[in-house]
Amino acid sequence: MIKLIEKIEGEAKLNFSFKDEKIDFVTIEFMSTRNIENILKGKHALDALVINPRVCGICGHAHLIATVQALEDCYEDLKISNKAKIIRELTLNFELIQNHFKWFYLTLLPLFGHKQQVLKATYPSQLMAKAIALFGGQYPHTSYTIVGGVVCEPTEMDIIKLNHYIDETIRFFENNLVKTDSNSFLLSDKIDKFLEYEGDLITILQQIKEDDMLALGKSYDRFISFGENSYFKKAKSIKTKVNDSVSIEYVKESDIPSSFAKSVTFKENYYEVGPLARAMINKAALVKDSHRKYGDSIFSRILARVCETSQLLAHSKKLLERLDLSEPSYINPNVDISKINGSGTSAVEAARGSLIHKVELQNGIIQNYEIITPTQWNLSGGTKKKQGVSQKAMIGLSDTKTAELVFKTFDVCSVCTTH
Amino acid sequence: MKMIKLLWLSGITCNANTHSFLNYPFIEQFLNDFEFIYHPVLDSSYTLQEIVSNEIECDVLLIEGSISPEFQRADVSIEDIIRKYAPKVQKIVTVGTCATFGGIFSQSDYKDVTGLHFDKEQKNQKFENLFDKTISISGCPIHPEILVNTLYAIKGDIALRLDNFLRPKEFYAYTVHNGCVRNEYFEYKVDAHQFGELEGCMFYDHGCQAPFTHASCNKILWNEVNSKTRVGLPCFGCTEPTFPKANLFTTKKNMGVPENLPLGVGKRVYLTLAGITKAFKIPRLEKKLLDD
Repeated sequence: MIKLIEKIEGEAKLNFSFKDEKIDFVTIEFMSTRNIENILKGKHALDALVINPRVCGICGHAHLIATVQALEDCYEDLKISNKAKIIRELTLNFELIQNHFKWFYLTLLPLFGHKQQVLKATYPSQLMAKAIALFGGQYPHTSYTIVGGVVCEPTEMDIIKLNHYIDETIRFFENNLVKTDSNSFLLSDKIDKFLEYEGDLITILQQIKEDDMLALGKSYDRFISFGENSYFKKAKSIKTKVNDSVSIEYVKESDIPSSFAKSVTFKENYYEVGPLARAMINKAALVKDSHRKYGDSIFSRILARVCETSQLLAHSKKLLERLDLSEPSYINPNVDISKINGSGTSAVEAARGSLIHKVELQNGIIQNYEIITPTQWNLSGGTKKKQGVSQKAMIGLSDTKTAELVFKTFDVCSVCTTH
Repeated sequence: MKMIKLLWLSGITCNANTHSFLNYPFIEQFLNDFEFIYHPVLDSSYTLQEIVSNEIECDVLLIEGSISPEFQRADVSIEDIIRKYAPKVQKIVTVGTCATFGGIFSQSDYKDVTGLHFDKEQKNQKFENLFDKTISISGCPIHPEILVNTLYAIKGDIALRLDNFLRPKEFYAYTVHNGCVRNEYFEYKVDAHQFGELEGCMFYDHGCQAPFTHASCNKILWNEVNSKTRVGLPCFGCTEPTFPKANLFTTKKNMGVPENLPLGVGKRVYLTLAGITKAFKIPRLEKKLLDD
């Protein structure tokens, strides 16, 4: 039975096979690709900074940051100011936050029988877009960070404005998602106690409990994350055992015959990426407690994504305190990119998980470009014997409606997958 | 007043127009005045599957993304979906540069990728019968206010004056240069721009296309707060049929003169003006803006 899954930044087809009235196997098909990697070939390296955000309208900023870091990795000795690094991290955080709000209020609520809450999605995400625009000029599709730093020179007044955007977003979170002050929320470490709060997140989590859905959506309990910054770590977590010896060289992409998307593995295994993976690696107390009780189920996955929103808001405030405006925003690279021969790799944590870019340059011209997106990790299509993460999470369910719910808890991004 | 029914149809796209639209500040008001029979993110009256397999009543067809005869949505050719709905609607709006001119994805692997009426500057014959009912809102992505206010103009039966590419002149008669806070550095040809500074104009060395790009980015600010050129990022000409050009961070020059000059300014006029302005020395523009 084939079901068209809509409103996932495009569509995908899930082809379910049933055995004894339970889902026995499911294939995931993406029906198109734009082949941006091909578009990049032969282009001037810096043009990738303009082209790559156009991979995706909802998480294009992650593609910008991944691009600049991949290009910078082609240099042997490139200086970037701390200020530029912090600004890049901030704007990427803001994009993650706006994605999470949109996912919760536009994608998730209808899956639980509620109406979409458009204003609750757009109000905080517009604030976060404004915060990006302070540095980047606009959102979506800025190219404000370039090899050597960032193009903007923020002033104290910009920072005051920025603090207002962040504070207002925090206030929104506290008034809607979990009705408590963020400090107590961030200190929560017991899921049962946490459920005593009120708020839109709590409503959904309670509904999962009441509707007996706590065991839904479990997969391999195997997580990975490659992006590193002041908040995220590069590591993997097998159940709760965290190990930081992961290297991108073991990441492998392979074709799926029935789909335009490609599978991706680490040392031949499928891993879950995204907020739940990051929380497990960061040992976020509340998510860990939920995981201890309910495993890598939709409950933990939803909780992790919403918790990350609050954590990133709080962390962004801390990052801002470290921002020294007297440092240079941009340091002119000592070698012009048109003289660069070499290759570069980057990994950043995008809203849905690890995003990897690889570039090869010859005299500053792109010879080859590879993009591995987060949704590829989670939606990799395996065989019956070796299923992908989201495939496994859907096996054993008795209806396709529930399967769609499980599928969408991975916050699927079709346009990224079909880059 | 009657609720206007909108169909938001996606071609080959990154969805940024969809998300830029969600940045419209008064979205609730908008959703009270318009009904989406289909939208790629927002709840709508019908599913995509229903849209492609039935004929649903609709007033305005919005097309996002470039068009190729090969491209399908829900297993139906995008061109067939357009052919089904376009004759019935009152207006068609091409949302973004891809839908208008082909844009970035005209370089994708699909066959014959174009905008609805234009293949870059070239006019297409394919949908010529729809030309008179189309309005183009170019931009990569569109500015939400420009799209929304155009839709309100359609709703209110306001006749919009359009340019040769069917873009409302009220938004596209301006250039991105109008309202840029770096204008003076341009006017007096202070050409020492460095990235990461409040000062300087990116036109002379860093590829800024603002003086010859039709758009209102510095008149109607982005996200209500800023613009690319204000922060120090060159304009890449994303509202124009030629987007994206190559070598976007470099100004192409012949014998020291930029290849593309401000709209309507000939080379001789430019050189004469440059000669005069070079004779000025304006201390205010030579030093850092905020220094004593």
